[in-house]
Amino acid sequence: MIRHLIKLIWNKKKAHSLLIVEIWASFLVLFGLCTLVVYNVRNYAEPLGFSYENVWAINLSNNQDTVNVAEKTQQILQRIKAYQEVESASLLSSELYPFSNSNNGFSTTYKNRTIGVNYLATDENFAKTMSINLVAGQWYNRADGGGKYTPVVINLKAQEALFENENPVGKVLTDYEKKARWIITGVVDTYKDKGEFMQNKPTLFEMTDPKNGWNKTLVMKVQPGTDAVFEASMLKDITTIVKDWNVQIVYLDAARQSKINQTLVPTIIFLIICGFLLINVALGLFGVLNVSIAKRRGEIGLRRALGATESSISWQFIGEMWVLATFALILGLVLAGQFPLLNVFDLDAGTYLVAMLISVIVIYLLVTLCALFPSRQAATVQPAVALHEE
Amino acid sequence: MIANYIKIAWKVLLRHPFYTFITLFGISLTLTVLMVLTSFLDHLIGNHYPETNRFRTLYIERMVLTNKEKTMINSGPMSFKFLTDFAKSLKTPERVTIFSDDRKSNTYVGSRKVELNFRFTDAEYWRVLNFEFIEGKPYNEQNIANGDYVAVITDGFKKQYFDTIDEPVVGKRFEIENVSYTVIGVVKGSPITRLFSYSDVFFPYTNPKSNYQSLGYRGGYMAMIQAKNESDMPAINEEFQARISKIPVSDVEGNFKGGLLEVNSEPFVRYFMGVLFQGDPARVATFYAVVGFILFMLIGLPIINLVNLNVSRILERASEIGIRKAFGAPIRTLLWQFIIENIFITLIGGAIALMFTYGIIQLINTSGWIAYADLTINANVFIISLLICLVFGLLSGLLPALRMSKLNIADALKS
Amino acid sequence: MIHLKNIEKVYRTSTIETLALTNINLHIGAGEFISIMGPSGCGKSTLLNLMGLLDAPSAGQVDIGGQAVTQYRDKDLAQLRNQKIGFIFQSFHLINDLSVLDNVEIPLLYRKGDATGATRRQMAQEALEKVGLSNRMKHFPGQLSGGQKQRVAIARAIVGKPSIILADEPTGNLDSAMGNEIMNILQTLNTEGSTIIMVTHDETMAKQTHRLVRLFDGSMVGDSLL
Repeated sequence: MIRHLIKLIWNKKKAHSLLIVEIWASFLVLFGLCTLVVYNVRNYAEPLGFSYENVWAINLSNNQDTVNVAEKTQQILQRIKAYQEVESASLLSSELYPFSNSNNGFSTTYKNRTIGVNYLATDENFAKTMSINLVAGQWYNRADGGGKYTPVVINLKAQEALFENENPVGKVLTDYEKKARWIITGVVDTYKDKGEFMQNKPTLFEMTDPKNGWNKTLVMKVQPGTDAVFEASMLKDITTIVKDWNVQIVYLDAARQSKINQTLVPTIIFLIICGFLLINVALGLFGVLNVSIAKRRGEIGLRRALGATESSISWQFIGEMWVLATFALILGLVLAGQFPLLNVFDLDAGTYLVAMLISVIVIYLLVTLCALFPSRQAATVQPAVALHEE
Repeated sequence: MIANYIKIAWKVLLRHPFYTFITLFGISLTLTVLMVLTSFLDHLIGNHYPETNRFRTLYIERMVLTNKEKTMINSGPMSFKFLTDFAKSLKTPERVTIFSDDRKSNTYVGSRKVELNFRFTDAEYWRVLNFEFIEGKPYNEQNIANGDYVAVITDGFKKQYFDTIDEPVVGKRFEIENVSYTVIGVVKGSPITRLFSYSDVFFPYTNPKSNYQSLGYRGGYMAMIQAKNESDMPAINEEFQARISKIPVSDVEGNFKGGLLEVNSEPFVRYFMGVLFQGDPARVATFYAVVGFILFMLIGLPIINLVNLNVSRILERASEIGIRKAFGAPIRTLLWQFIIENIFITLIGGAIALMFTYGIIQLINTSGWIAYADLTINANVFIISLLICLVFGLLSGLLPALRMSKLNIADALKS
Repeated sequence: MIHLKNIEKVYRTSTIETLALTNINLHIGAGEFISIMGPSGCGKSTLLNLMGLLDAPSAGQVDIGGQAVTQYRDKDLAQLRNQKIGFIFQSFHLINDLSVLDNVEIPLLYRKGDATGATRRQMAQEALEKVGLSNRMKHFPGQLSGGQKQRVAIARAIVGKPSIILADEPTGNLDSAMGNEIMNILQTLNTEGSTIIMVTHDETMAKQTHRLVRLFDGSMVGDSLL
């Protein structure tokens, strides 16, 4: 029977070409949508790696004041740590607080493997302030400094890319100028500082030099319920220490929300538009099938006369749609298959494959849904009536 | 004749409400999306409050430094001094304004936190941009020279900080980061999508935290050059580039000594594309691929859908066509009949889409998703939409019409 | 073989009731070759539809092979049509998008049991040989003459080896030479054991059969052996 249907479709391929093109185009749209959704869902599934609740970031900029910048920053940090409301505070690279819009990256090498890493300089209290768990070794502390190499912590992603099976703790990495520069003291699981929808990327944390005046962003974990009154008085204290500096306070949960929206809003708009497009296509297919069944009443009657049951007529029309969809999907998959093969947009091949699978299933469901009602209609055609109409 | 066709088209529409629904759904959906998109694009790049003179304005937004070995690139806004030296002193423009990018801060009213954006500007800023002053006035050259602690605020910030809409606040004081300022004017705010005018608070550039004294080339400032009229813009750009090219390469700072210094002054659309592409050809390709795909999806799919439906429904009207042909209607006349019918249906769909678009735009404008959003269905948007309608009608009518014109008279009449 | 008892058929629309057949009693034995004649609209085709189980009578009973079939469900009727009855129509009713061979194979597709593709092909080829069209198997209906099309239709009717063949004006769309050709094939089939019931307008064709039933205004007005 399937061969019979394939022959029927194949011999009518000219008349069906537009339908095939339509299903093919719908598949591509779905594939695009599914790729986006699968990519985001897969990223979302990986843990953030830190806690943002009750964490604030403070961005300092020294403006025209160039005297003792590092010392003043340390003084501010000590003042903040002294508050009762503050559980822990840490200094890091300017503007590179979690969920910020800035990032910094360069390449690092171990033996002959070179990878690009996201880079962040922090002091020894960063892991504690952000509740980051270590999976190997420990977070660097002041005692690790002063040696030949600067202590660093990497994440698992970087470990996988650089070390495979070796234990990375204690190993030395070279920097982008091919100079041996960093010694690894620990490994963290993930650190997706651009939010849940960010792809898990190799990351490297380097211990800050307290005498360096460049790192002027702070993160601080406050006690639950700490409010704007404390914030205002803290700001007053800071501006007494540094009168002409700019001080900007960011709540990480608010920053996280805006990061999430940056991904969610376009995805949802895309989803709505695609949803309407697919409804449109479904209605169109439904209409075309209805018309074509009206046109083929003679054929249906004949088949009934030759011994086709009601259900075999229903199945014939659903089967025809499946065959058509299969033709279209083969063409679509050939095109979609180029994405993982040519590594377009730098996405994981698994993302594309899952997206293809989902799109194929949805297309089959869609055509089945469209064929269901018209095929029922077809089955009710009385053989005698149909033959008389010709 | 056309009235006759339209009468038939109307009858055809009414004969099968379900197919009519499918057709109109597809057309109005597509046109709505396209019209909302064009409206949003117009919102981004058109001449709108307060940047109503975009068409005769050149933007100097970033400097790009490349080192001698071409291994390092540093780009971003410039220092106040650089722009004063090389842009402010141009001879050909009508006006030049220098202003900082927008920065964030917080202020506190009792136990309430108010988040705000602020920027530093010169006095010319208020002449280049057409801000509407609800009360008070802008700061002038005198305020700037005095280093007055004054500020222009938006109505939105006024409501948040002073908790009032009607009461005048000019002369009142407010505090940001422990510095106290006097309100000198209140303007109607600009939406966040307008990067050169968006802010909650504007300060004179002589504010102690503005860094206008910095001596390097890079800094936190940008400039807008307003020409007397559009045709002057190439001449202004030439004068500006002539100056930039005279900057001795040895002057270029730090790591970039002996390298390349580039600063563009460009019309808004070119600037906008530049931000999108970031000078990367791969990004350009990706951008066009994505735009192409979205257009293909938005226009292509509904058209294929309509063509499909129209082609399969053509036999429904075989006898009508057969009779017309039998009585001597030439193929061309029949083609026109069908195309006119389709355009007629498309126009009905267009009218529905116009209503939907109006609704969606109102929703965006009033929902507060984008503060001060002012999306409109202006003439441009409407004309583009109308053209899209016509193309849509032509395309979805043409193929079925061709099929139809090939119909054999005898066959057509038999059924 | 076929037994019709007190058959009545009424077509109802919201406004009119049309009596198509009334008080039909007809017994057809195995191996008969019957023609049914009558003017247009006398109910010939309706009668044929009832015998072919394409339609159900409003009253009365249809027996096929000794079984009363009026109560059967759609599924059983379909299987009965498929196994016992072959149809030949005036306007051929071939599916234009399928080749001659594929057209002939159709009844086998709906047959219960698992004839393999090769067996089906074999059977279709044999049927086509019988009607003398084995050289046209790969052609499409559009490429054939009217007489050839009707021979394909006959091949399709006999491919499942049914005991009864119902022919609705099989020569109606053909010229006399082609018509005679078709009649010869039908006669051969009859001598090989098929029961054939043929509706016709054409006296000369009717004379070539063994029994003639005449209908007028839905009633049987004659039944004679020739």
